[in-house]
Amino acid sequence: MTSVLDVKNLSRAFGGLQAVRDVSFEVQEGEILGIIGPNGSGKSTLFNCILGQLVPDEGEVRVDGQVVTGLRPSELNRRGVSRTFQLLQVFPQLSVRENLILAGQEHRGSRLRRLFGPRDAGLTPDANRMIDFFRLGHLAEEKAGGLSYGQQKLLDAAMAFMAGPRLVLLDEPAGGVNLTMLASLKERLQAINAETRATFVVIEHNMEFVMSLCTRILVLAEGRLIAAGTPGEIRSNPDVIEAYLGH
Amino acid sequence: MAEILQLVIAGLATGAIYALAAIGFTLLWQTSQTINFAQGEFVMLPAFFALVAMNWFGWPFWLSCLVAILVSVLLLGMVFKVIVVDPMLKQGVLPLVISTIALGLLLREGAKDFYSAEAQPFPYIFPDRQVSVLGVQLSLSQIGVLLIALAVIAALQLFLSRTRTGRQMQATAQNPTVARILGVPVERMILYTFIINAALAAMASLLISPIYLAKFSNGEHLGLAAFVAAIVGGFNQVRGAIAGGLLVGVIDNLAAAYVSTGYRQSVPLILLVLFILFRPQGLLGRREERAV
Repeated sequence: MTSVLDVKNLSRAFGGLQAVRDVSFEVQEGEILGIIGPNGSGKSTLFNCILGQLVPDEGEVRVDGQVVTGLRPSELNRRGVSRTFQLLQVFPQLSVRENLILAGQEHRGSRLRRLFGPRDAGLTPDANRMIDFFRLGHLAEEKAGGLSYGQQKLLDAAMAFMAGPRLVLLDEPAGGVNLTMLASLKERLQAINAETRATFVVIEHNMEFVMSLCTRILVLAEGRLIAAGTPGEIRSNPDVIEAYLGH
Repeated sequence: MAEILQLVIAGLATGAIYALAAIGFTLLWQTSQTINFAQGEFVMLPAFFALVAMNWFGWPFWLSCLVAILVSVLLLGMVFKVIVVDPMLKQGVLPLVISTIALGLLLREGAKDFYSAEAQPFPYIFPDRQVSVLGVQLSLSQIGVLLIALAVIAALQLFLSRTRTGRQMQATAQNPTVARILGVPVERMILYTFIINAALAAMASLLISPIYLAKFSNGEHLGLAAFVAAIVGGFNQVRGAIAGGLLVGVIDNLAAAYVSTGYRQSVPLILLVLFILFRPQGLLGRREERAV
C-alpha cells in the first residue's frame, strides 16, 4: 500500500508552549484516520501544519511521497489536498451549485481559459453529481446562506470533493450537527470514501462519530502522540483513558 | 402630471449617475473594507482629464473621453490602491478613512489650482434637445444619460453574475479566506474592483458634467449623494446601491422643484437620518453581525 500522507517528526511551538512535539504518522490510501485528544492537545496545530496554514518548526510533511512542508494552502489544494472547516465557510450569497463549481474551477484549464472560458468551467455535471450524492437536490438553486447549519456542513463536505482530491482533511465535521443529519453525514462520507478511494483525516470531538466513522485512530495529549490503533483498541487503552479523565 | 413625470425622469437620470458612484462605493467596501470618502472627487476629476485632453492637447471629444476613462483607471484605480489603500489598510479602517478624506481635499484643491476655480462648460454626449412624448416634454440628453448609465449597470451586473471572474469577485467579497484556499487570486480580484470603481466614476463624471458643469467643488455633493445612496440601498449589495441612487436622485429633484432649491443639498442628509433611524439595514441590505 502507498502512503498518501506521511508526517515525520513534526514540532511546532508558540512562544514557550510546545503545541506539537515530534509527531510522526502515515496514512494509507483509502484510509479514514481519526485524530482525537482533549482540548489543547495540539490537534488543530497539527492540522494547520499539514495544511500549510502554519509552518512547522521541525519535521516534514509528504503527500504522495512529495515534500509539501510550508507550501501555501492554495498550492496544496492544487495538489489534491482538500479540507472542510470547523466553522462554516461557504459563500453565503452564491447558490449551492455555484459554491460547488467555484470549489472546483481553479483546477480546470489554463490561466486564459480560467479568464475567458465557459462560466461553469464544464463543472455543472460534476456539481450536479455531488448535489445528488449529498442529497442536496432540492436546494441546488438556494443561496447557501439560507441553508440550515447541518445542510451547510453537507455542502462544505461536498465542496471538498469537487476538485477530485487525493486527501481530505475534515475539521470537526460533526460539530453542531443534529443527530439525524449526523447519521446522514457519516453515511455519505463512508460512501464517498468507498467510491473515490480518497483518503480522509478527521479531527473530531464527538467520540461516537469518530469511533464509528474511522478505521484507525491516533490520540494526542499535550502535543504528543500517545496511542494509535483501531477504535476497539483505543477504547480500552489505559493511557487514553488517563489522558481524557486525568488521574 | 406631465411636470411630475418630467421631474421624475430628470431625477432618474441624475439618480442613475449617483448609482454608478454608489456601486463603486459598495464594491470597494465589500472586497477590501475601503470606505472611500474621496469618491465624490473621483467623480469630479475625470471631467478635468477630458478637458485637459481637449483644451491643452486639442484632441477630439470622443478621444478625450476615452483618455479620461483610461487615466482614471490608472490613477484613481491602480495607483490609489497601491499608494493609499494597501499601506493604510494595514493600520486599520479608520486611518484609511482619514487618508481618503485627505486625498479628497488634495484632489479638490489640486483641480482648482492646476485647472481653474471657475465652472467649466462640458460638451453634451447627446444633443441637448427637447422631445415631446405623449404630451410630456423630455430632454433627449437626460434620456441618453439614463440609458447609458443603466446600460453600464446592466453590463456590470452581467459581468458579476455570469462570468467566472465575476463569481470569483463575489467569492472574494463573501469569504476571502476560503476563496484564497480554493485558489482564487484574491489580490487580483480586489484590484479589479478598484479598476471597476474608477471606470464607473469616470463614466459618472462624463455623464454628469454637462449638467452640473465641471467644477472642482462638484465632489462634495456627488460624494454625499453617492454615500447616502449606498447606505440607503444597504451598503453590501450592488442592487441596493442602484435602488438607493435612483431614489436619492428622484427625491433630490422633486424636493428642488416643490420644496426649495436652497434645501436641495440637505435632502440626501434627511434621507440618511431617516434610514438610519428606521431602516438601518437599508432598502435591500441584510442585517450584519460582527464577531469581535
